[in-house]
Amino acid sequence: MAQRLKPVDVVTIGVGLTGSLTALELVKAGLKVVGLERGAPRYTVPDFQSPAIHDELRFSIRKGMMQDNVKEAVTFRNTSDQTALPIRRWASFLPGTGLGGSFVHWNGQSFRFQVADFIYKTHIEQRYGKKFLEACGPELTIQDWGVTYAELEPHYDRFEYISAG
Amino acid sequence: MADVSRRALIKASGAIGATMLPTALAIDAGSAQEHDHASPAPSHPPAAAVVPPQVRETTYLFFNNEEAAFIEAAVARLIPKGDQWGGALEAGVPNYIDKQLAGAWGAGERLYRSGPWQPGTPSQGYQLPFTPAELFRTALGAINRELSQTPFAKMNPKEQDSYLENLEAGGKDLGGVPSDVLFAHLLESTLEGFFSDPVYGGNRNMMSWRMIGFPGAYASYYDLVDQHGIKIDRPTMSLAENADGHVHVNPGIPARSP
Repeated sequence: MAQRLKPVDVVTIGVGLTGSLTALELVKAGLKVVGLERGAPRYTVPDFQSPAIHDELRFSIRKGMMQDNVKEAVTFRNTSDQTALPIRRWASFLPGTGLGGSFVHWNGQSFRFQVADFIYKTHIEQRYGKKFLEACGPELTIQDWGVTYAELEPHYDRFEYISAG
Repeated sequence: MADVSRRALIKASGAIGATMLPTALAIDAGSAQEHDHASPAPSHPPAAAVVPPQVRETTYLFFNNEEAAFIEAAVARLIPKGDQWGGALEAGVPNYIDKQLAGAWGAGERLYRSGPWQPGTPSQGYQLPFTPAELFRTALGAINRELSQTPFAKMNPKEQDSYLENLEAGGKDLGGVPSDVLFAHLLESTLEGFFSDPVYGGNRNMMSWRMIGFPGAYASYYDLVDQHGIKIDRPTMSLAENADGHVHVNPGIPARSP
């Protein structure tokens, strides 16, 4: 019989990059949070302890911190006329796993989109004229985002603080 | 081997090792001697005091005799012995490859092995049905059958190089393994064995690290964070030892699935 636990304010499905940051912020705001994580628990000590964590063969070459793609493979192709085939070993695309998820092996870099990126259609029209986009035909579905850099800037700033990115 | 005293040798290898003096001794003693000449830095203790010379002959778990003969000869051409430093053979690379193939990696850990099976584009990566162990066994078997008259190990270095270049060029089928795929695996494994931590069975006496001036797995460089352009001149250290030389083998090595 299912055991009924006491309700909490928030449950995160996964405690990876998003789940852990969100949970931390919600707890700081006074909410009670439970995180559900399918992967192995990992803690600073002993899992990320020196010198074992400097094992480049284990982590960089053999991808010891990444998802086991024997259990969960993804397929890949460059263009739609190719047949998608399984990625049999991780190479360029590295999904994380376990407590902390890809947060534990990211490079600490988060790039802000620039002012023009949010108003791409307007930006190009201003720079090259409306006819430039019209000439590209109806298949060009370029749009402005509907949110501006100025509106997002405080959130970029906050994210960079809490993620140390 | 004149520079390695009998006492140091027995102390370092233990009585059992010393009674089994193998052919590899000459090479290892030679490289220890080279190191003494190569790095006369007075701050370093003598090599023998830091790392006991390894005098054991490799006990192969995966390779049979013919396979081992090919691997030993091939890695010695991929990273040959130089004037100052030993090459892949002296660094124990065949032992590294053997242990990798005999272990989880060789058995296809973290290698997706279900269909669909078909040749992919270069950007789709490895698409063969072989585990690393199967790949080496199959391809080395085909090579050794082809060279049954003149085994690779008996060729002169020039012939060996041209045979390896031929494998690298591809177009040759080794029992289902394209020869360039075997070559790529062989080269990658050789580099791994030469440069990875000795805890994996290669890089004997941390030879490659001493050669390139890499100090190894020091736990912390905190005191050096704000210092730039300095040479890190410390004795090399393996993952498995702390600063006092105590060995702490991590049960998580080699990598296992979480």
